[in-house]
Amino acid sequence: MMRKFGNTKGQMRLIEVILASFIIITALGFTNLLSITPTSPKYEATELEKLGYNVLHDLDKQGLLPRFIYNAEWTNVTSALRVTLPMDVYFNMTVYDSNNDNVAEGLYYGDSSTFSDANTVASITYCLSGYSIQTGPGQFEAVYDPRILILQLVRI
Amino acid sequence: MVNATYDHIVAIILVGVIFVWVVGVLPATSLVSINAADQQQLRNTGLNVFNAMLLDTGEGFNETANQNTTNWGTLDPFEAEDIIRFGLASTEDSASYVLDPDKVQRLEIGNPLGTINNTIAKSLMELEGYGFALEIIPPFNVTNVDGTKIDGNNSPINIPALEESRLEYSVRVCYLDGRPIPNAAIESIAIYSNRNDFTFDYGANSFTNQDGISSATYGLDFEPLHITVIMRISVADVATMVVTFGHNPVRIIDINLVGDEVSLTRPKDSPNAEVKLHKVYSYSASGVLTHLYDGIQTGADKDHFNTGNGQRFWNKTFPGLKSYDPVIMVFNIETVPPDGTNGNQEIVVAGPYQNLLGYTVFHYGQIPSNSRAAIRMQRSVIISGMTYTAELTLWEE
Repeated sequence: MMRKFGNTKGQMRLIEVILASFIIITALGFTNLLSITPTSPKYEATELEKLGYNVLHDLDKQGLLPRFIYNAEWTNVTSALRVTLPMDVYFNMTVYDSNNDNVAEGLYYGDSSTFSDANTVASITYCLSGYSIQTGPGQFEAVYDPRILILQLVRI
Repeated sequence: MVNATYDHIVAIILVGVIFVWVVGVLPATSLVSINAADQQQLRNTGLNVFNAMLLDTGEGFNETANQNTTNWGTLDPFEAEDIIRFGLASTEDSASYVLDPDKVQRLEIGNPLGTINNTIAKSLMELEGYGFALEIIPPFNVTNVDGTKIDGNNSPINIPALEESRLEYSVRVCYLDGRPIPNAAIESIAIYSNRNDFTFDYGANSFTNQDGISSATYGLDFEPLHITVIMRISVADVATMVVTFGHNPVRIIDINLVGDEVSLTRPKDSPNAEVKLHKVYSYSASGVLTHLYDGIQTGADKDHFNTGNGQRFWNKTFPGLKSYDPVIMVFNIETVPPDGTNGNQEIVVAGPYQNLLGYTVFHYGQIPSNSRAAIRMQRSVIISGMTYTAELTLWEE
C-alpha cells in the first residue's frame, strides 16, 4: 500500500511540472505578443503619421493645399506629395466633402498592391474648413466648405 | 489527505511565483527584449534630438552685445564655443519646420566664416555615446540631359556659334528615383560679361516635356567671356530649386552671406591679383534679381582689394536683405582670371549656396555604422523658401 501511495504522489508532481512548464511557455508567448519592438508596425505607422501630418501641414501653411483641393488640381496634389515625401514612401490620397461623398480618389504613387500587401499602412486624416474668395479690392469672403483628406502612407 | 492538500497549495503558490518570475524577469534578460528596449530608447532619443534640431531656435552668446541670442547663426565673429543650445529653427518665422539658412550654413565644414564641428554639436545635444548624421535632401534632381551631374566640367551650356552671340542650354528635371518630371516650370536668367561689359537677360519661361527635359536659347548682347545662368525650377508650385551653372567658370572669390551681411573671401589657391568690385545683385527664392550695390572705383573708399589668401577682404550690410530670402548673390568683378588669359577683365561670380543647398544632398555628421542598429527619421523642412527633406540617422557607438 505504501509503495502504491508513493507512486501516486510522484504522478501528481509530474503533472504539476507539466502544468508549470505549460504556464511558463504561455507566459513567454504572452510577453512576445505584448512587447512592441522598434521594427514593429506600430512604430513605423507612428513615424509615417508624423511625416504625413508634417507634409500636409507644410502645404497648407503655404496656401497650396486649399488651392489644389478646391480648384481640383489633382495632378499638382500628386506632384507636390511626390516631391515632398521621401522617395521610399508610397501614398494614396482620397478627398471627401462634408456629405462623405468622394470628391477625388486615385491620387496615388506606387502600385495599388503595395497598399493591400503592406503590413503597415499609416492613415492620416486632415481637414480643410473652406476657402476665401475676393469680393473687392482688399475684401475677402470666407466660404465654409469642408474637405476631409485621407492620406495613406506605406514605406517600401 | 491533509498533507496532499498542503502539497497542492504549496505547488500552486510555487507555480504562481514561477509565472510572475517568468513574466517579470525573463523578458528583461532575453537578448531580443534587450535589443528591442535599446532600439526603443534610441527611437525616443532620436525623436527628441530631431525635434530639438528642427523645432528649436537654439541659443548662443553674443560677446559684442554681452547677451544671449536665438539668432546664433549670425554671430560675428563666430565661435562654436559660444553656442549654448543647438537648434536650426528660424527665429523670424513662427511656422514649424522652417529652418534658418544662417544656422544651416554653420554646419558646412569649411565655411570660412565659422562652423560647428560634429563633436561640439554632439556635446550640445548631449549625444555622447551616439553617432548621428543629418542629411538635407533636395526634392528633385536637375541634371544634364544625359543624366550627368551639372558641374564645372559638365555644363549644360552650349555656345554653338559664338560669333552669333547665341547661348543654348538643356537640362533634365527628375524625381530622386530618376523618373522624369513633366510640366516643371522653369525660369532662367543669363548673366554674362566680357572684357569691359556686363549685362543680364531673362529667358522665356518654359516647362519640361514628358522626358523632363527643357531647353532654352538666348540671344546675347555681346560675345561673352564669362557667363552664369541661374535657373529657378518649380514643381507644382510647392518645391523650388535654384541652380547655377556657367561656362568656363573661374573661382577667384568666395561669396558668403550671413543675415543681411555679404562678405567676400579668397579661396586658398586663387591668384593674388587685384579685385575691383563693380556690381552686386541678389537673386531671391521667388526668382527676382535685385541690384544692391555699385562698387566705388575712385577715392580712398574705392572697392579695390589685393589681400592675402583665405581671408575676408570685403563685407557690407544690406539692411532687410535676409527677409527677401536671397539664395544667390551675383558679383560683377574685374580682375585677372587664374589662367591669366586676356588680362584684366570683368567676371561674373555667383554664390554662396551651391555648395550647401541646391541639387546635391548635404551631409553633416558621421557616416552611419553598419555594424549597429540605427534609426532613421525624416521631415519636410523649408529653407530660404525652398522645400527639402531633412533626414536624421542615429545609432549607438
